[in-house]
Amino acid sequence: MSNPIEVRDVTLRYRLDKANVGTIKEAALRTIRRQRTVEWIHALDGVSFEVARGEIFGVVGPNGAGKSTLMKIIARVLPPTTGRVIVRGQVAPMIELGSGMNPELTARENIILYGAMLGRDPKHMRERVEPIVEWAGVEDFVDVPTRSYSSGMMGRLAFSVATDIEPEVLVVDEVLSVGDKAFRAKSQARMNQLINGGSAVVVVSHSIEMLKNMATRAMWLDRGRIKMLGDANEVLSGYLTSG
Amino acid sequence: MTAAESTVRYDSDILRRPLITEFQNFWRFRGLIRLLVVRDLTVRYKRSVLGVWWTILNPMLTIGVLWIVFSNFFGRGGALEFGEPYIVYLTAGILIATYFSQGVIAAGSAIVNSRNVLIKMYIPPEIFSLAAGVAAATHFCLSLIPLLLLTAFLGPGIPWTIVLVPIPLALMLMLVTGLGLLVASAAVYFRDVLDITRVLTQLLNYLIPTFWTLDFIAGSPKALVLVKSNPVYSFLVVFRTWVYGGEMPPAWNLIMMAGSAVLALALGVYVFSRNWRRVVVRL
Repeated sequence: MSNPIEVRDVTLRYRLDKANVGTIKEAALRTIRRQRTVEWIHALDGVSFEVARGEIFGVVGPNGAGKSTLMKIIARVLPPTTGRVIVRGQVAPMIELGSGMNPELTARENIILYGAMLGRDPKHMRERVEPIVEWAGVEDFVDVPTRSYSSGMMGRLAFSVATDIEPEVLVVDEVLSVGDKAFRAKSQARMNQLINGGSAVVVVSHSIEMLKNMATRAMWLDRGRIKMLGDANEVLSGYLTSG
Repeated sequence: MTAAESTVRYDSDILRRPLITEFQNFWRFRGLIRLLVVRDLTVRYKRSVLGVWWTILNPMLTIGVLWIVFSNFFGRGGALEFGEPYIVYLTAGILIATYFSQGVIAAGSAIVNSRNVLIKMYIPPEIFSLAAGVAAATHFCLSLIPLLLLTAFLGPGIPWTIVLVPIPLALMLMLVTGLGLLVASAAVYFRDVLDITRVLTQLLNYLIPTFWTLDFIAGSPKALVLVKSNPVYSFLVVFRTWVYGGEMPPAWNLIMMAGSAVLALALGVYVFSRNWRRVVVRL
């Protein structure tokens, strides 16, 4: 049985103009004056790993190590420059939730739109509106534009939509802390339920403590390369002692 | 293990088949496209008192001003081809010009405007341009109402050829989506591309006989060639002939209309998808 996530020798590099040229006029002037300062960025360099069902795979590393880039590659947002990524089963990307929501739309409209953006069937989403608002605790404001929502309500609603499935692959960027204390406990319970439901989980976090408690395996990235890969405790201890 | 669990959802090695993949996506994501169009329309009109009627009022105001200024110059004494009143001729012209320029700009800016979504979850980006084009087409359909009223009451009446109007409508959607995708590829790199596009579409609209008539430039063969080589001109000729003329337009106009639409869409989708790999890291 193949693993849900396979990342084989993935490299992502792109050209970056350091001068951050933003207009045609600037670009033309710079070309004439031969001032173009183009540089190749290696965001990821020869990264390979697999994540099995029921496994919680932690990714650590300093800022700019390529953690977020890796998440985006697994979530299919960025195509790898070379190498291969295979994902089996439905993916739930828990990366900055609610970015497709529009404050002018009602909660109901937002739920259906956001769900469809996450790749779910709009018809199915229409039926899921009630349980989703109920879980988020906003059932009294279903047909109200979400611009009148507090940021906590917005966060709860987005979390509720994003977790309203049983994904085979779960990609989590940073710890999701939304809402008040009671909701945090509730959302943590739901995350645990998803994680323990047999899906393959990749978690990126700066909180080593949290990863130590839940991760089964871990990877330490540094400037786009794997510095360590293996048992969670070993990798995390290695990362901690590196300062 | 059930079969569903091991389904490959994403394999980065599977080759995108240029054009085929994109058109499959247009179909596969039709539910999302519909929701995006509804969102565009809802968001735009939610806070205005006039609501969706603003769509109709906006071109009507332009038309009103142009009519006051130019009705004494053009179309006096039955100079127009189908004997229609100048106001009908003018309205048809402005509607096509507005559809074209708003469509290209909306489809062109849709990708940059959806940046927040596109860098966080996988949605085929070309979906957003098509949805913006469909929203522009919806505006066009709404503003057909006043044109039909004018034609029915002031003009020659509504002919049977009205049933053919969906053809230029759909082909224009292809044209603006294709051109919009070309604009969008460049707009990711350079912020000023959208401003330049705004200026260019406006210039292009002056080059088609919206408020003026062809006999105005009849003395200059060069000017005639310039005007007639613009694909939007052919759309306008076909549209006018079918909306109130009740005849068949010249074949070359039909060919130009269909040809430019197919070519623009194919080219736009192809260039955009070839560039997307390089573009997405910059978003």
